[in-house]
Amino acid sequence: MRYALFPGCVLRGAASEAFLATVKVTEALGIDLVEIPEWTCCGASHMQDVDELTSLAINARNLAIAESMGLPVMTVCNTCTLQLRRAKAALDSDPELKAKVNEILAAGGYEYKGTSEVTHLLWVLASNPGLLDGKVAQPLNGLKVAGYYGCHLLRPPTVMNYEDALNPRSLEKIIGLLGAQAVDFDYKLKCCGFHAFWTAEKDVMQVTGKTVDNAAKAGADLLVTPCPLCQMQLDMYQPEGREAANSKAELPILHLPQLIGLALGMKKEELGIQRHISAVDKIRF
Amino acid sequence: MSRRTFLKVGAAAGAAVVAGAYFAWPGSNIPEAVRSGSALYDVLIIGSGGAGMRAALEASKQKGIKVAVMTKMAPTRSATTMAQGGINGAARNTDTKDSPEIHAFDTVKGADYLCDQDAVAYYTEESAKMLFELDYSGIAFNRQEDGRFHQRKMGGSSYARAAYSADISGHAVLHTMFEQCLKENIDFISECQLLEIVAMNGKLSGVVAVDMRSGEMLSVPAKTVIVATGGYGRAYWVRTSNPYSSTGDGIAACLNIGIPFKDPEMVQFHPTGLASNGVLLSESSRSEGAHLLNSSGERFMARYAPKAMELGPRDLVCQSVEKEILAGRGIGEGLKAAVYLDFRHIPKAIIQERLFQVRQLALQFEGVDIFDAPAPIRGTCHYSMGGIDVVDYKTCATKIAGIYAAGECSCISVHGANRLGANSLSEVLVFGKTAGAAAAAYAKGAGYEGDKEKLKAAVAAWNRKFDETTKRSQGASVAMIRDKMAMTMWNNAGIFRNEKGLRQAMGDMQELQAMYNTCQVGDSSRTCNTAFMNYIELGNLLRLGKGIIYGGLARKESRGSHSRTDFPQRDDKNFLQHTLISKEGDGFKTEYRPVMIGQYKPVERKY
Amino acid sequence: MAITLKIQRFLGEKKWEQEYRLEVETGMTVLGALIKIKETMDPTLTFTASCRSSICGACAVKVNDNAVLACETLLADLLKRYASDTLTIAPLGNFTVLRDLMVDWQPKYDRLKKIKPALQPKTEFSASEGCRQSKDEFKKYSKNSECILCGSCVSECNKSNLNSKDFLDPFIFSKAAKFVADSRDKDAVAHLEPAVKDGLWKCLNCQECAAKCPKGLSPAEDIEKMRIATFEKKMSSNEGSDHAMAFYDDVKELGRLDEAKLALKTEGLKSALRVPVAYRLMRSGKLNPLEQAKPIGDIEKVRAIMKAAKEKKL
Repeated sequence: MRYALFPGCVLRGAASEAFLATVKVTEALGIDLVEIPEWTCCGASHMQDVDELTSLAINARNLAIAESMGLPVMTVCNTCTLQLRRAKAALDSDPELKAKVNEILAAGGYEYKGTSEVTHLLWVLASNPGLLDGKVAQPLNGLKVAGYYGCHLLRPPTVMNYEDALNPRSLEKIIGLLGAQAVDFDYKLKCCGFHAFWTAEKDVMQVTGKTVDNAAKAGADLLVTPCPLCQMQLDMYQPEGREAANSKAELPILHLPQLIGLALGMKKEELGIQRHISAVDKIRF
Repeated sequence: MSRRTFLKVGAAAGAAVVAGAYFAWPGSNIPEAVRSGSALYDVLIIGSGGAGMRAALEASKQKGIKVAVMTKMAPTRSATTMAQGGINGAARNTDTKDSPEIHAFDTVKGADYLCDQDAVAYYTEESAKMLFELDYSGIAFNRQEDGRFHQRKMGGSSYARAAYSADISGHAVLHTMFEQCLKENIDFISECQLLEIVAMNGKLSGVVAVDMRSGEMLSVPAKTVIVATGGYGRAYWVRTSNPYSSTGDGIAACLNIGIPFKDPEMVQFHPTGLASNGVLLSESSRSEGAHLLNSSGERFMARYAPKAMELGPRDLVCQSVEKEILAGRGIGEGLKAAVYLDFRHIPKAIIQERLFQVRQLALQFEGVDIFDAPAPIRGTCHYSMGGIDVVDYKTCATKIAGIYAAGECSCISVHGANRLGANSLSEVLVFGKTAGAAAAAYAKGAGYEGDKEKLKAAVAAWNRKFDETTKRSQGASVAMIRDKMAMTMWNNAGIFRNEKGLRQAMGDMQELQAMYNTCQVGDSSRTCNTAFMNYIELGNLLRLGKGIIYGGLARKESRGSHSRTDFPQRDDKNFLQHTLISKEGDGFKTEYRPVMIGQYKPVERKY
Repeated sequence: MAITLKIQRFLGEKKWEQEYRLEVETGMTVLGALIKIKETMDPTLTFTASCRSSICGACAVKVNDNAVLACETLLADLLKRYASDTLTIAPLGNFTVLRDLMVDWQPKYDRLKKIKPALQPKTEFSASEGCRQSKDEFKKYSKNSECILCGSCVSECNKSNLNSKDFLDPFIFSKAAKFVADSRDKDAVAHLEPAVKDGLWKCLNCQECAAKCPKGLSPAEDIEKMRIATFEKKMSSNEGSDHAMAFYDDVKELGRLDEAKLALKTEGLKSALRVPVAYRLMRSGKLNPLEQAKPIGDIEKVRAIMKAAKEKKL
């Protein structure tokens, strides 16, 4: 099993621990990752606010490089997945647009064909649960895990159509395969607010606090998310969130590959968990 | 479980809690002056469909005129939004051979000559202009190469005449009107159900309505009232394309104060209602080329309209569908019997662009994707040609000074015995505008001649009625009476009629009226009591249903939508006349008024 | 099969949940079930519905916390979706409830007025001759004319749930976007300005609205399109537009995001006030202000593409 990895800016910057964990875990599971050379930022759901065509072209370029590698694309960030899939959906459904974008790409010597699919680590695992067979050396028995999907892996459902956006099950499935118990909580499909941090700060802090509080009240020992942006928001701003939501809850927030790594028997230091801000000590592995 | 024990269980199970922020009272659905009783409207419009909103926009153009639109729901829920195919007007964008005169001839012929030709001429002249106004107001009209709005050909039309917005033309009209009303800051009196128009000795006082939110009975004094409350298709409850709200409230209110119900028997059945529930598949299906097939796959319209085929007028096509079913060439049985509407030969791109709603409805309610399989369809009650007797088409006035009518509730009459597809949207806009202008002009020159004491007395009577009817804990339910009404109307006063069936229906309706008089509403709360609303609506439908039967019995001929198996021929000698039903004591009387014939002399219809 | 509907009830000052058990008939919709309950079990159950064919917008309710049009949603599909014989039904979120499932639309109309919700036709057009518009221009806004004002988009809107005072409802943004995109309209700024003032840049981009619209509109995308229009119309910048521009510039300069400078570019000097957070991040190694971001190797190719894209209009 081989993928062209699109790591995205966050994994190569503030959430480098997620990159570390992704590499270790995929290695252990026998998933071969080749980083897309010379990839650029996906626009992070902001660049299209300036110019949609540029945003499309930039992502078409990323996809074109993966196509030349002959590999499907895998990401570990919700927003990167959305941006790449959105570009792909737009180009694949509109031959005129595709031709136009290809004229633009020609300026850099690229061509978008539409031959590489775009997926996310969570989807790869949920579709291939056999990858975990015999690998769970340290089952997370007794651990109560709140699986937090984040928006962009589910919505808009026309583009992110891996599973039912209103009742997704993939994260719970993986949590279960790792031996932990998935905790259902009201905020599991809500938005962490990351993308509006600068414009609606008060609201964002409040929802950060409420999300953590809600997961804690549902009995979770920790929260796991397939999105490094959600992780950053819920982890880094937990102190401000607590204040805004008038909550006392303190919860470790893990990247999905970190939780898998723990179940595979890796130590929390190996997975970069000490780089997190909130409740790191509560992780006992 | 009885209702009472059920409620007990519910209350116990759902340990009631006090709701904090949830609760925000009072709402602002009503202008403060109405609640305090100090309001006096120059023009009060009942109904917020296309006609009502267009009337409001026109009336409010007059400076110093106070206008409001009253509606029993929120303003954009009306039947107008369900019109699909298009809006007729000889704008000549797509077909330069068209003209208002040809539009008028098509309309008169489609109507089987029962319309007033002076009114039709006025309507077709105005509707040609109206399409450009609508474009200028911002409606999303589909376009043609030269940038003008495109027009399509609908059933019974000689040329491509209907401007359209995909297959959601009515929705486009209604929301464009609503946008304009928001822009002009038109007053809405929302969620208020009309109970009574108060007029005595030919003098209008205003209306009484129940504020749905508070249950308060409101008296709203007005110098003029424009009734724009829509049709009465829900008399056929189980088999109609109309919304739940099409219960003829305004027609019933007018009937009560002596304004006749004109041509009530002229009820249009649309040929392509979904087999399972009567929801409409747009006539634009057939304008885009869909075929009607019987159980052996034959295009049976060749038998009934060899030239026009599927694009014959609705009455003819609908009766043809029913004949195929009666001859055993349909599918299914009983209420679910049907024939097929086939789209498979139409390019998918056309369906996606122009018939996407049709496709969705068939998928949703029949589980049929029209790309791959034909949809089962049958006639469904669709439109009320009959309605409030308008005596002057140039003003939409009724016989009582200050009371006007426009839209489906009115009978002006331009649709006669059968309305052509895409004539209704232009009719509501043309006559909404006409009524709005006329009412405003009248109000400007007149003082309030009503009697507020009479309004107060009416309010007191309605309060008593509310208490009395909602207190009853025995009697038949509203839904049960309504379903029985619908069955007898469909079986005996439906697509085909005869003396015996109509007599049967008359007897049934009398029994149902007796049951209604002692029925139970089931909810005694004053807050948002939709059960009381449904009770009032059923009362209106029972009266109007009886009107349909009266008119149907008296009209011993077949004309347009009124098809008597015992009198299969049209009889111009005796029935080139409008039926006028009016109140006489507790019952009805029937009178006639000759049809206004202009340049188009009645001949036999051939399609 | 028999199912249980737990319906949120509300009357006067009381709020409670009531259970109803009923048989699901073939083809039964949520609206069909509500009507059946009202007509055979409990006439006091209050809801609104009109067309029962997905076009009037009267019957939207929440089922298991997700807004749907009751008239088009088959119970069989819901039972399958949630793998349960129990469903909860509640009034739409972000509306004031009047009774049971009936909500108050009046405040929404008042808000709708803010964005000047009517066409301002260009001077070359007239009421007597109508307008001119190409098929392509028509396509730019026609989807937005399909909004039925059902309120599903705002029901689970994450921003509105947190604070709707400084943020218009998603359908209002879609309405504004309709006029901004309509070539017949003479002044996009008249619709854009109030949109900016009332939250255009505050959308959380959670895409709930796009997931809920029964007509397939995407208010989230409409918000994006209007943001683009504010750049095209050279409207004054704000934190949101500066943030978006920072991404654009970083990709042009480096190919990737320069996290260390993002705050400064977005907020200017105000970001200095965020020292405690920055300190916390530096301590854990999340942020390194001394790191000098370097462009990717193929940056010239990326710049060439961005230049070509800018020259070509969408």
